[in-house]
Amino acid sequence: MKKRFDDNEAITRLISGDNNALFQLYDKYSGALYGVILRICRDQTKAEDLLQETFIKIWRSIDSYDASKGRFYTWAYRIARNTTLNSMRSKEKLIQTDDFRVYDSKEVNEEAPDYTELKGSIKTLEPHHQEAITLVYYRGYTHKQAHKVMGVPLGTFKSYVRQALKQLRETYTKKLVYIWIFLELMA
Amino acid sequence: MMDKKRILDEGLLELYLTGELSEELTNAVEEALENDKSLKEHFDVLESDFERMGMEQAIAPPHSVKLRLKNALGQTKTNWLPLGIAASFALIFGLSSFWLYEKWQDAEQNLNTLQSQTSELERKVNNLESEFRLTSNRLESINNPDVTPLVLYGNSKAPNGKVIAYINHKSQLVLVNPKGLPRLPKDKTYQMWSDVNGEMINMGIVPTDKELVTLKYIENAESLNLTIEPVGGSEHPTVEELVSNIII
Repeated sequence: MKKRFDDNEAITRLISGDNNALFQLYDKYSGALYGVILRICRDQTKAEDLLQETFIKIWRSIDSYDASKGRFYTWAYRIARNTTLNSMRSKEKLIQTDDFRVYDSKEVNEEAPDYTELKGSIKTLEPHHQEAITLVYYRGYTHKQAHKVMGVPLGTFKSYVRQALKQLRETYTKKLVYIWIFLELMA
Repeated sequence: MMDKKRILDEGLLELYLTGELSEELTNAVEEALENDKSLKEHFDVLESDFERMGMEQAIAPPHSVKLRLKNALGQTKTNWLPLGIAASFALIFGLSSFWLYEKWQDAEQNLNTLQSQTSELERKVNNLESEFRLTSNRLESINNPDVTPLVLYGNSKAPNGKVIAYINHKSQLVLVNPKGLPRLPKDKTYQMWSDVNGEMINMGIVPTDKELVTLKYIENAESLNLTIEPVGGSEHPTVEELVSNIII
């Protein structure tokens, strides 16, 4: 809860014109948002520009953030994701006029540079769960696009995502229990 | 209102999380979240998992991004152009106000000077006017066909002394110009007398510091006589001190 309280305090200050509050939020969330942006666009230079653009959008539209509707991270994630997808869409359109490539022909299997590789608990998930989470949250696909990519019905795909998240939660809980036992033992 | 079961079954919360829902469905989910506490708790857990996953997948961006963001904010925040224009206007306004104030102060000072000069001139004109009246009155009194001018020359008591008397029998006025008389000691004064049938009658004292002295007109006077008397004059003339006389 302290986290939420800190965020709200920083957001209130940001709304009242204190730019330092933006850097407080930047320090906390830039890594997570950069992880999303970089994995979607797969271009480090572009991702840096998009991260900057994302935080400028956050700064400009912080008035429209409503804490009662959800966490700051969720709101900021949507901005980062949309900013990245929009920039890629306009880029793809330009390429399309040059080589008549079919729109939305992005290959899922294309080689990803190392820095976009997922890490941590996600890697403990079953492969199809891992792929579902990756496509939706770290490749910028909508559920409707992603189920086609995986070649499973939309309902099945949604349950993959749900199960994946549930398993992740269980992993986190287990981790917390281990940490708790470790701390108890230390004490 | 959309029920909880449908939202959970259709995985709408996951779609809502990533902002994939249409506006209509977004509003429906938000309304349900607002009214259904258990659904909200479900969403809170989902968000919390999602954020934790985000933190776990975090990649630290280069420090240069933060610096660029700081610069961008500085530039966006402070748009100097309108401020500059406003400041220029303020400066122009300030300078012109100061200039106008200075002008106004100058004008005020000029007006004050003019006013004092005008009143000074007015005073002078008044003085001149009264002096002119006095002079023209005097001139009229002496430069008149009815006036007889007489010159009384001083004897050894007042060598080179001279008094001019103007007698107007018609208007019964006697004026004397004593300027030609030598000065007397402080305790002495000149006095004029008329001789009527051998009797000396007082006409008044003749101070030498005035240009024209008005004296008493005595009827049937045969001569004018000037004597030196003690200050304040005498009732009877001191004959030994007779300075001059003339027959009319």
